Amino acid sequence: MGLPFLDRLGLLVQREVGRLLGPIWIPVGGAVLRWRYGWRILDTSAARREFRRLRRESSAPLLVCANHLTMVDSFLIAIALASPWWYVLNFAALPWNTPERDNFSRTWWLRIATWVMKCIPVERGGDRREIGRVFERFSWVLSRGDVGLIFPEGGRSRSGRVDADASTYGVGRVVKALPGCRVLCVYLRGEGQTTWTAAPARGERFRVLFASLEPKTEHGGMRGSLAITRQVLTRLAALETEWFDARQ
Amino acid sequence: MREAEVFETVVKILTPHAKNQAALAGVKMDTNILDDLKVNSARLVDVVLAFEDAFDIEIADEEVDSVNTVGDCVRLVLAKAS
Repeated sequence: MGLPFLDRLGLLVQREVGRLLGPIWIPVGGAVLRWRYGWRILDTSAARREFRRLRRESSAPLLVCANHLTMVDSFLIAIALASPWWYVLNFAALPWNTPERDNFSRTWWLRIATWVMKCIPVERGGDRREIGRVFERFSWVLSRGDVGLIFPEGGRSRSGRVDADASTYGVGRVVKALPGCRVLCVYLRGEGQTTWTAAPARGERFRVLFASLEPKTEHGGMRGSLAITRQVLTRLAALETEWFDARQ
Repeated sequence: MREAEVFETVVKILTPHAKNQAALAGVKMDTNILDDLKVNSARLVDVVLAFEDAFDIEIADEEVDSVNTVGDCVRLVLAKAS
């Protein structure tokens, strides 16, 4: 992959700093979610088992794709897939993600925190070349064995439900750039969550569903990227139906 | 394929997605698709797929990164179609 040297160096430094500080920030982050906000993810054992199996069975790139309702989803999904201390010992498994730059650049400490926490910020709707560079950097860290997390809808679900027809292509672009890339679809939703918000309600209890797939397409170019993204979104929409059916 | 023909088809494809009708009325090669025509970036995929169908070409994700203006589209299509 033709990522410029300085970009590669920057990502390696970012990853190493995050890893060295991991024994502090990862457990603290987990504790804040649990004790400060009272958020609990129920029945994580199956999802965690599947995540460990996928990590163990192959060194092919692994991309986590999830529904998106709040700005803290990436933290919650990470915790749904493994315990904080497991991530300290398996730092490569802690997913990189691409948060909206505007949401996490308001203060200097937030910028530092997101940098340490394996984030590659993206300006949605911004300069196409810059967005393309974010995808290249994101794909590069996955090609080296780290896990990545993307929200295929490209933003929080404005209807509160997965938009399986969203015209986005980011997931497909990453999958196509990484031969053999596997996708773990994760559907996480709080029992009281009815729509998208900045953060879940205090004390929210979440339930998680998951499905693995290796999306494929015979199309090339952007049509192929869109087809792959649609496969992932369709699977997420099916998980959503399953999630609501189980609540009835 | 002539540049004028491609330009005309490109504009026709962009028309339903353009929110700034005034800019669309005076569209030129250097008109910016997102900033001037106010095409929603989320609709870019639909636009690119329409180009692929209209000109029977395949456009790679990376090629879309360098498309900002109507002229960029025209040049990309001409390069692909030749």
